[in-house]
Order: sequence, then C-alpha cells, then structure tokens
Amino acid sequence: MKTEDLIAAMAADATPQPAVTMRLWRMFPVAVLASLVALLTVWHVRPDLAVALASPAVIKTLIPAALAGAAFWLAQGLTRPEAKARAQWAVVGVLVLGCVALLGRGMIAGGPSGLGAALNSPNLITCFLSIPVLSALPLGAVFWAMRTGATSNVWLAGAAAGLLAGAAGAAIYSLHCPEDSILFFLPAYGTNVLIMVGIGTALGPRLLRW
Amino acid sequence: MTTTADPSWETLMCAANRGDQRAYAQILTAITPVVRGIVRARGGALGPEGCEDVVQDVLLTIHMKRHTWREDAPLRPWLYAVTRHKVVDAFRARGKRIDVPVDDFLEVLAAPAGPDPFEAQDMDRVIDQLDPRAAQIVRAIGIDGDTAADTGARLGMSEGAVRVALHRALKSLASLRERMIE
Repeated sequence: MKTEDLIAAMAADATPQPAVTMRLWRMFPVAVLASLVALLTVWHVRPDLAVALASPAVIKTLIPAALAGAAFWLAQGLTRPEAKARAQWAVVGVLVLGCVALLGRGMIAGGPSGLGAALNSPNLITCFLSIPVLSALPLGAVFWAMRTGATSNVWLAGAAAGLLAGAAGAAIYSLHCPEDSILFFLPAYGTNVLIMVGIGTALGPRLLRW
Repeated sequence: MTTTADPSWETLMCAANRGDQRAYAQILTAITPVVRGIVRARGGALGPEGCEDVVQDVLLTIHMKRHTWREDAPLRPWLYAVTRHKVVDAFRARGKRIDVPVDDFLEVLAAPAGPDPFEAQDMDRVIDQLDPRAAQIVRAIGIDGDTAADTGARLGMSEGAVRVALHRALKSLASLRERMIE
C-alpha cells in the first residue's frame, strides 16, 4: 500500500478522539468514589472523624491528598510524548522532601525508641492490608486512561500512576485509621505508597507501551 | 513545506481534531516528507521500501495518538517525539531481523522527499490479516479513493457503519503492526 493511500484511509477516519486528560478526569473520580464507598461500608470511618478532621491530625489526610493532586497533574503531563513535566516533578519532589523532613523532625523529637513504639500497633497490619486494596481501583482507572496516551517513558509514567493511586488510597484510608502520630502514618503510609509506586513501575512497560 | 499563505500545522491539526477530513489529509500530507526525512536519516540501510514501512508505522501511530497533542502547544515537538519513539521501536525490531547498526547512520542527512514513489510492503501483509470486509473498506477508501458513502452502498452498509468499521480497522492495523514489531 502506498503511503498516500494510507493517508487517504486515515483522513476518512477523522473521528474525534477523547483526550487522555478527559478520560482521566472522568474515570479517576469514579474509582476514588468507589474506594470511598468501600471504606464507608467495609472499613467504616473512625468514630471521632469530625473531631480528628478539625485537629492537627487532619494532615494525615491532607498530605496524601496533596500528593495525589500533584501526582494527578504529573500523570496527566506524562501522557504527552514531548512533555518533560518538569514543574510537575518539582512539585512532587517538594512534597516528598517535606514528608521526609517532617518525619526527621518527628524522629528527633520522639527519641530513638519513638518510631518503634509508634509503629508497634495492630493498626499497622490493617494499614498494610488496606491501602493497597483501596488503591487498586484508582490504579486501574489511571492505567485505563493513560493507556491511550503516548508517554516517552513507560517506567516513569507507570511510577506516576502508582504514586497517584497509592496517595489516593492512603488519603481514603486515613479516614478510618485511628493512629494520629506522625511517626506512625508517615512511615506506614509512605511505605504503602512506595509499594504502589513499585507496582505501577512494574506495570508501566506492559500497559503503557505504544 | 508551509509558506506564510498556508494555514499553520497547528491550525490544520485543530481542524482535523474537529473532524475536518480535508484538513486532516492536508496535515498528514504535509508532515509525511518530514517524517520520511527523519526515518531515512536514521536508517538508510533499510532501503527505500524498509524506510517507507517505518514511515507508515509512524503515520499510523500519529493517527492513533493524535489526541495526545495539546492544541495550545506547537505541533512540531510533538511530531518529532512521536516519530523518534516509533523509529527507535521499528529499528530495534528490524535490527533483530536484519541486523542494521543504526548508529552508523545517525549522521546521514536526508532531505524530505517529494511525493511517495515507493510502495511499502508490510502494510499489505497486515491488511490481509484483517477480516475480509475490513480489508475491503480500507482498500476501497485508501487505494481507490472511494467515499464512505460509496463504499457503504457497494457493501450494503450505512455510511456510519463504514466509518465505524474503518476506525476499527485502522485500530487493528496499528495493534497488528505493534505485534509485528514485538
């Protein structure tokens, strides 16, 4: 087939396509909502949620939510083949550094045994079982949308998808989690988000190839 | 190439994204020599037919991924990124088959060619893998230059059904090519 014939066939198929960002905006909120409903019905929110959200412990929800917001922006940027997404990476980097700094400050204030004491809780297991489960649907939605994109780096785009899903899962789980210590939720949520980043990175080359 | 009197590539692509078939044909025709130049500069050793196969791969990818271009951005960086990605892919695959040391040809400069005098081979083989009706539609509209309405009348299908079938056929072609490369 001649190239001009191919062009003629393609031009006859000028059906408008939905933008990747549009698919992300449509599906991601639905998946987050589904995870939220699962939390409400299976996990249930903590009984003192209203009090907790009005206290400084609200950062347990706000930090992952902010990270999810930045990751959403990053994932969106990485669907374009020519995009470097430098601003998006910078915002994600600043947030991650902020978390590390906050954890460092907490560890200095809590002393050497503080971290172990904070993490020595049955809630840790619940946390590790829950966040990946609550992140699964959002991860599926992100990949479903990003698959139609054209990323220049399948690993990084997969990592961004995992970060977005993991951060969203952590924010949802925080509504149930009764542990308010920085020394609990930063390392526990952080590790879970990293697990999701790992899963996303592993799936990226498979799902985001084009 | 474009002159000041011609609409910009961005204008054409915007119109194409809104379903303007003439603008879409125009922009595809305009970018093809540029894509061909990049492909030949990188892989002259594939021969003109081999290069044309890669050019068609790139064009098919542009077709499937055209919605990833953001309309407020310039088109060329997007076009180069898509082309580079597909060329690397294609040479990685063909390199395995025919062992072309790509790096030796990176420095070769090729001017964009005029109208395409070459018939690419791979696409016909892939079209043959489509179901017969889909292959018929692609050939009728592409090679014979029929409209969707004419094709539909001949095949006893509505114009809309022909469009849908063409869209699916191009999508299958893209994924069949992808599998060929793997």
